[in-house]
Amino acid sequence: MCVRRPYVVLGCIVSAVVSLIGVHIQAEKRQTQSIVGAEVKGLAPVSDEILQVNLPRAEEADLHNGLHLMVLEDRRVPVVSFQMILIGAGGYYDPPDHAGLASFTASLLREGTETLSSVEIAEALETLASRLTISTDMSLQATSMTGSSLTEHLEQTMALAADVLLRPSFPEEELALFKDRERAGLMQQRTRPGFLAVERLAGAIYGNHPAGRTSPTPVTLNKTTRDDLLTFHQTHYIPDHAVFAMAGDISMVDARTLVEKYLGAWARTETPQPTVQDPEPIGPSKVYLINRAASVQTNLLVGTQAIKRTSQDYDILTVMNQILGGGATGRLFMNLREDKGYTYGAYSSFTALRYRGDWEASTEVRTEVTGDALAELLRELQRIRDEAVPEQEFQDAKRSIIASFALSLESPSTLLGNSVVRHLYDLTDDYWERYPERIISVTREQVQEVAMKYLDADRLHIVAVGDGERISDVLTSFGPVDVYDDQGTLVTTAGNGQ
Amino acid sequence: MPTCTRWNWQAVVIATGIFGSGTGVVGQTVEFTDTTLENGLRVIIAEDHVAPVISIAVNYDVGSRNERRGLTGFAHLFEHMMFEGSENVGDGEHFLLIANNGGDVNGTTDKDRTLYFERLPSNQLDLGLFLEADRMASLDITQENLDNQRQAVQEERRLRIDNQPYGHTFETVDELAYSNFAYSHSTIGSMPDLTAATVVDIASFFQTYYAPNNAVLALVGDIDAEVALEKVRQYFEPIPRQADPPAVDLTELPQTEERRASYDDPLARLARIDVAYHIPESLTADHDALSVLATILSSGRSSRLYQAIVRDTQLGVNVGAFAVSNRGPSLFRLVGIAAPGADIGALETAIYNQIERIKVEPVEDWELAKARNGARRSFVASLGSSLQRAIILSRYALFYDNPSLINSRAERVGAVSAEDLRRVASTYLIETNRSVIITVPKPASAPMDQVLGQENF
Repeated sequence: MCVRRPYVVLGCIVSAVVSLIGVHIQAEKRQTQSIVGAEVKGLAPVSDEILQVNLPRAEEADLHNGLHLMVLEDRRVPVVSFQMILIGAGGYYDPPDHAGLASFTASLLREGTETLSSVEIAEALETLASRLTISTDMSLQATSMTGSSLTEHLEQTMALAADVLLRPSFPEEELALFKDRERAGLMQQRTRPGFLAVERLAGAIYGNHPAGRTSPTPVTLNKTTRDDLLTFHQTHYIPDHAVFAMAGDISMVDARTLVEKYLGAWARTETPQPTVQDPEPIGPSKVYLINRAASVQTNLLVGTQAIKRTSQDYDILTVMNQILGGGATGRLFMNLREDKGYTYGAYSSFTALRYRGDWEASTEVRTEVTGDALAELLRELQRIRDEAVPEQEFQDAKRSIIASFALSLESPSTLLGNSVVRHLYDLTDDYWERYPERIISVTREQVQEVAMKYLDADRLHIVAVGDGERISDVLTSFGPVDVYDDQGTLVTTAGNGQ
Repeated sequence: MPTCTRWNWQAVVIATGIFGSGTGVVGQTVEFTDTTLENGLRVIIAEDHVAPVISIAVNYDVGSRNERRGLTGFAHLFEHMMFEGSENVGDGEHFLLIANNGGDVNGTTDKDRTLYFERLPSNQLDLGLFLEADRMASLDITQENLDNQRQAVQEERRLRIDNQPYGHTFETVDELAYSNFAYSHSTIGSMPDLTAATVVDIASFFQTYYAPNNAVLALVGDIDAEVALEKVRQYFEPIPRQADPPAVDLTELPQTEERRASYDDPLARLARIDVAYHIPESLTADHDALSVLATILSSGRSSRLYQAIVRDTQLGVNVGAFAVSNRGPSLFRLVGIAAPGADIGALETAIYNQIERIKVEPVEDWELAKARNGARRSFVASLGSSLQRAIILSRYALFYDNPSLINSRAERVGAVSAEDLRRVASTYLIETNRSVIITVPKPASAPMDQVLGQENF
């Protein structure tokens, strides 16, 4: 039934197709069509024009100590945000037997400096409503210190940030308190099915590569000493390969003055550029069940190795991913939720860094449809491998990617992020200016080729977190199953007894 | 000419542009027009030409408080139905059109209202208005759509509540604290009620609540306000007004003694305590003071709860306080997760000790400065987001009949004094006014050392 109140029928308003200087995708004649899960009536007024936007670029400068400064001036609100990217200080560089050291160092920076205690630092920052966090991840080359401040408090915030960055004291008492909090955190994270899924898949995709770890352990936490932290800080928190990016209510001139004042004494060390390695090629497809008692849903996470940021397949994979799982219009969402009603959401994404990264699809489904949902998910991967994407759907995906650039103009930090990426990956100077035309030039054949190359069924690893008693049988129909408990311990391996 | 009841035109434009010169001074008020159409739709428009973006927020005056027993979860289920198609828009086409044209979109339901919003490139104003008007006028309700979205909502419930540690705690707090069904039941609804919803219920809900006289539309971004208003009239004026929906009684019975409950959670590993006190509705002087109190107690690592309980005594791994902001009677809530091995009773006492401190010693100046600067910071952040302003303007218009409050919120927080804090703590944060839930971990799986010896599956 269509419930409506009587009203004057609106004319269908369709903007004339306008030929523009700049980006323009020739819209196919619109027709009523069915996509799995959706019905297109084609009556809404859409402007066929894609706004051509000039993405502002950051100004850049290299300081005497090697620090690369990037500033995106934007005066719309009296706020400045900043990010210090310390290449070489990230969790990627944890010693092999000390998972989490980089992350512990990052967390403890704020817990005391040579002149200020933990609570003094917190009071100083929070009174100003300024933010400052330092964090990293075990897959990342960099530790990032991100902060933001009202313009009127920027200098004080910078002073605190510099103090924390350059002169942390890692008090013993704070280390002990931190360990207690972190121990509880390690326990808590294992109650979250999402964490358990990511933990297993990262291990499956990356093996012994640093990105194969997702978390420190109680052992690596407990063994951490103050000396470990001081040494890691001294070795890796250097300006030589660091990037300091600022966006907001500040000019390059003023930014430079501020940075020279507070970070000018930070001495260069002549340490060579940190390097990374690719993971070993991924092993053959496997299924992993993480048994989580009392679960009423199964978390499904399917993934494989993919590309580096500088890969020539990056743009093509972007388009492919948009079609497959890039949001509420992706095939995974339309199929698993809008058509089948298995889930609240289903999406995919990929990470592309300096080393070969991964592509993953995820969803959470009620326990009883675990097998059916996984079959549908895999069917979508097969479909995009085996069949060229229909023309309208293909054009829509490309249009979606390009048209969203207009929205990014609201966010100075997003715009700054574009410049930072360009710098970190040594991309061409006009990389972002040419992005729309590169996306437009992606073909359906290329998408299919990339799907076949990366979504190879023999290299897809499947993780299911849920009620083992109810789902272990159905999972065996997808391949040999290794069973884990929620502590990350292998319980049984496929076909063999314990 | 429309016979609108209100036309407040204030001066234009708040931002000087991306590469403003000089001091970078930006106007610190949001300026907007406020017009009510003949059919009762209130329209608020603010120009902002910094980026070629528009944000549309449509706030309907219906939330879970309007639900009755047997039909919980309805307002939220209905929100899902609003994306399933209308006379001129196909099932799923709303998402497609927004995404394909570079925008983003979502909806959200709470006890007091249902909010729909999208952001689009500024040349797609007609698209955004068309979509919102079409579904306000003519929702396409089918059994198939209902069955499909019912399943999505049931999975959402499982995802957020049934499959998470402390999921049921979340519902139990409201059930215990509120005496009035309107606020006490869960917004996402119970599984049996969701299963029982029918297309007739949906159609009736639409007729009653989804009317122009029951909504506020806010439009912020790169538009000319006059042109935009004309377009709004074009799309929305044809939609007829409906009878005003029935009012909801939100009165809370006075609570005269402490209430306590305990809940066993098979998915949790650490004990948790929730405490809730009855407080007045939001945007009252007392509620403002209680918001500031929450900031002082729990915002950041300088906060009292963090320093005393997480750091010093290590009784909790996480402790927080917040003032729930309902249109009706609200709650001041505290949540604490006990550290491994810590006694939950000791955690409870430690929380009350922090509350008692507020009653006897004035807070320090820097703590008040923290709250003041935080409120100012929030306001300033909203100036950088067309969507935030659209949402806030529509909320203040809908809840308080006063969108100008967007410009005075920070000032209100700034006016709260140490004496105000002492007074509200002594008035509201007392034993007879509180409800306490203890969540006890009761893991279903055996501890690790037993798992290793288990039979294979």
